[in-house]
Amino acid sequence: MKSFRPFTVILVVGVVVVVAFGQQYAGSVFVLALCYGIVTAGMAVQIGFSQQIVFSQCVFMAFGAYGVAMLNTHLGMASLVATPVVMVAAGLVALLLGAVVTRASGLALAVATLMLPLIATGYISSAGYLGGSVGAPLTGNLWPGSSTQSIAIGNGLVTVVILGLVVLAASRILSSDVGLELYVLGVDEPTAAAMGVRTPRRRLELFVLGSVFAALGGAVYAGTQLFVPATLASPTAELALLMMLFVGGRRSVLGAVAGAVAIQYLSGASNWVSVNILIVEGVLLTAILLIDPDGLAGITRSLATRLRPRSAVAPPTPSVSSAPPALFTPSALPSPHEEDRVLLECDEVSKEYGGLTVLDDVTLTLPPRGLFGLCGPNGAGKSTLLGIIGGSVPAARGRILLDGEDVTRLPPQQRFGLGVSRTFQAVHLIGGRTVLDNVAVACLTSHRSGLVTRLFRSELAAARQRAAQTLDRLGMTALSGRDVSSLTLESQRMVELARAVAPGPRLLLLDEPASGLSDAERRRLGELLTELAGLTCVLLVEHDLDLVAQISQRIFVLAGGRLVFDGGPADFRTSPVVNSLLVGL
Amino acid sequence: MKFGQLVIAGLVTGSIYAVFAVCVSVWYRVSNILNLAVGDFAMLGALGVDDLVRVRNWPLPAAIAVTLVTVAAFGYLYDRVVLHLAQDGRRVHEGIVITFFFTFALSFFIDGVAKVLFGTDVHAAPALWSGRSLSLLSGLHVERAGLLVLACAVICGSMFWLYIRYTLGGKAMEASGENALGARIVGIDTRRYRRIIFTGTAVLAAVFGIIESPITGYTYLSGATISLTGFIAAAYGGFRQPGRALVAGLVIGVTEALLGGYVSAEYGDTVLYAILAALVLAWPRGLGFEAAVGG
Amino acid sequence: MSTETPALAVTGLSVAYGAMVAVHDATFALAPGEACAITGPNGNGKSSILMGLAGLVRRRAGDVRIFGARAPSGDVRWAARHGLTLVPERRQLYPGLSASDNIVLGCYSWTSSLAKARRSAPFGMALELFPEIRPHLGQPAGTLSGGQQQMVAIMRGLASDPKILAVDEPCLGLAEAVSRRVYAALARIHEAGTTLIVVEEAPKRALVICARRVEVRNGVATWAGEP
Repeated sequence: MKSFRPFTVILVVGVVVVVAFGQQYAGSVFVLALCYGIVTAGMAVQIGFSQQIVFSQCVFMAFGAYGVAMLNTHLGMASLVATPVVMVAAGLVALLLGAVVTRASGLALAVATLMLPLIATGYISSAGYLGGSVGAPLTGNLWPGSSTQSIAIGNGLVTVVILGLVVLAASRILSSDVGLELYVLGVDEPTAAAMGVRTPRRRLELFVLGSVFAALGGAVYAGTQLFVPATLASPTAELALLMMLFVGGRRSVLGAVAGAVAIQYLSGASNWVSVNILIVEGVLLTAILLIDPDGLAGITRSLATRLRPRSAVAPPTPSVSSAPPALFTPSALPSPHEEDRVLLECDEVSKEYGGLTVLDDVTLTLPPRGLFGLCGPNGAGKSTLLGIIGGSVPAARGRILLDGEDVTRLPPQQRFGLGVSRTFQAVHLIGGRTVLDNVAVACLTSHRSGLVTRLFRSELAAARQRAAQTLDRLGMTALSGRDVSSLTLESQRMVELARAVAPGPRLLLLDEPASGLSDAERRRLGELLTELAGLTCVLLVEHDLDLVAQISQRIFVLAGGRLVFDGGPADFRTSPVVNSLLVGL
Repeated sequence: MKFGQLVIAGLVTGSIYAVFAVCVSVWYRVSNILNLAVGDFAMLGALGVDDLVRVRNWPLPAAIAVTLVTVAAFGYLYDRVVLHLAQDGRRVHEGIVITFFFTFALSFFIDGVAKVLFGTDVHAAPALWSGRSLSLLSGLHVERAGLLVLACAVICGSMFWLYIRYTLGGKAMEASGENALGARIVGIDTRRYRRIIFTGTAVLAAVFGIIESPITGYTYLSGATISLTGFIAAAYGGFRQPGRALVAGLVIGVTEALLGGYVSAEYGDTVLYAILAALVLAWPRGLGFEAAVGG
Repeated sequence: MSTETPALAVTGLSVAYGAMVAVHDATFALAPGEACAITGPNGNGKSSILMGLAGLVRRRAGDVRIFGARAPSGDVRWAARHGLTLVPERRQLYPGLSASDNIVLGCYSWTSSLAKARRSAPFGMALELFPEIRPHLGQPAGTLSGGQQQMVAIMRGLASDPKILAVDEPCLGLAEAVSRRVYAALARIHEAGTTLIVVEEAPKRALVICARRVEVRNGVATWAGEP
């Protein structure tokens, strides 16, 4: 299995190096590097995928190291036993801290976590029981042995195994369905939320994961180096960790470990290098960033693709049955009194932006099936209304009811769960992934599952199957293996539409899907929308009035934030209000 | 009067933070890059002048001139070579996360060069305005160098503000940061502006390093601490507003001094950082973070 | 065709973004004061032609002459100084700067003095083009509606005192009534003697003011004759 590959590499290489060089200097540098590798592997998942810089890993590494040192010195606990204890403690601290810290994002998060090493260093240097500004010694080796030989090799082997397990865990998570969630989260958080990803929870899980791995790295460090320097928690240490991560490859677990090894060996490579290490690291990092921001891992990957040209074929596309399946299975069967049922109700929805009234007492209802147009001059509030229905924009006043249930306070993820799906004015696809994966994002069932459960099971294949079925029904199977950034605008819009349709939504919100399309392309879109109208409720924001009048059953017109027209296409064409606002038919 | 003296001391250190915060802010506003090497240029300025004057016995004005020219040349070259490759090539690097690391690598490099050139001891440039501390009213003292830093900070800040507000060139510079493509369309040479600002902030940082170093003394590693505090103060000014960064730096300096004096000499700084962290988490929008989201 | 120097003469223009060739061959010429529409399906090269003309993208091949002077490849300042201004697709305004600042920056190509720019005729004429923007001049451009932003973008173009104004998809995402206002303004600009090039996805609108049409398909531009 693919996720076992990094684990095997670590084990094989690690064991060989430890057994061959375990008692020499080179071997001890290797073991030290692996300790850092445990930390950077966690950072690859935490920072590399969420794209949020966090400066707290050195603090947790120090927590793990000092924890083991204290348990060993004061309670006589063996380091190997103290390690899981310290990990659990770190997990709890990370949970509490993370709950507060991950409410922020971007620069705010970076600055807030930047304070942590400063606070930690300040505390440590004044705390006598921790050894003050010097550090804490300990006597408990990781591998309790008698001779220096067996200790050195034993320590090394234990470290290798622990690192291997860490890397295995990280790989399994990243290649699972939650891994796809994390990828989308890192690239485009609002879109991830609209696709059902529980973004606050995932960010907290990433924070805890990175912190626990950092603490583990610290614990192993203490057990193998037998001394915890006070500088382990300092900003300089954090910057060193970041240097290792970026040199090796911030989005690759194996790369992150390689980065740690590379930097550690570099520091001891020669006398000149070790004296001028700052210059060397500065030049190295600059050079690597210029060549490939994904570090050594990225460079290796590019070389590999160039040396072994593969045919331009997708990752295995799941097989699809020959008979064209239904576009999707509607989540509710049509009930006898269909026309009377109300799916969506907007009740006196209002919204202001800094003094400007964008929506003013908008009230409308939609039945469970059909196609409805939403038109109006620019700035009339159409996209805002879609945002409020979808949950990405909070309404100032009024209610949104879905099937009678008040969803006004629900975040976009949960509305997605209730069957609301939308597209955006600008195409929000995830570059660097295939069309299949982009559509599969909307078919994931892992939103409620914890990150940790993905060590054992993943339903990514099922999601991809569902996505393949939708693509097949829309005649887009030929595109499924292509990277979305290589497609034309029309194809990208179709992929976005496929993504919105794939989960079988009850309410489909489309924001100007025809924008930028030619006449022929618009006709095709119109046919598709008409077909969808028979299966679900479609609310379409459009400027192309011809298109809207042709395919909609009912049309709403917003002007100056107010609903000024609500009626059928025939009335729409003749209405004087509409004509004065929107003349063009 | 303990309180007054603490406030004065706080304003002095605060003005140092403020100055570097302004450099970080201005640079970010115009280029969308966070410059982590600001402090290292300051350190180069101070140690360079010190080396030329103390070790090679050059006259002070010549030492200052040569040092500043060298810093300017270095900044210019770095932009011409590295930033050009990073930003102007076919490969455009994503957001703050990566460009942040370029300046981070640059700061490592500069520190390493400084270590080779100037050794590891603590040094400082000769004081520009020498003499005992000036005394203000009722027994308060202030170091002359501190006053000089404050004055320079205010002058530079105002000049920048006037430039942005009242000249076409200033608006062009802002436009480059807001929308590079839009700026190029009206004929603005965005690369040239970036080069000017990068070199300018490097030289400015060096100048402040020269003025300020007599107060605290620098080693080759001081650059990192200065950059960090500049970054923090700039963050609280929201990164795009040099005026607010200036104020933030002063406030942080005064708060630090007061905490150290009244709460605890040992844990004063720790408490300060905890407060700063809490502020960011509680009130990100108020501090202007929404406008400068990373990733 | 008259014998006076064409305002714009394009021969064999080819534009590429890295390995992807967006325009293979574009050849056409405009007399001074003419108005021409560039039409064709999306993604076929219309915008790339304008980008190449304005100097925002280097030419892979071909010759561009503005009033007889040969344009160097990829030099935006040269094109601006010789009278060619582009109002780009999706406006490309400066969202944090005020609408007024956005417009006055259009003067950057011919002056470096803010005072002179504000007093100048082109700036004044730009402001008169869309009087409905007047109350919003101090507002940050990012807070204006799509239609207002398009107006500001055209005003910025006019502030550069162009002899040739190239407008890329002026009505993208705009409602009918606003589109008509925009085209009315473009017509006024044309009547004042400016040569006009309009890239339009829906040719009907453009052909009200444009006498001729260039059709672009798969990166090749050809005259489509009189409408």
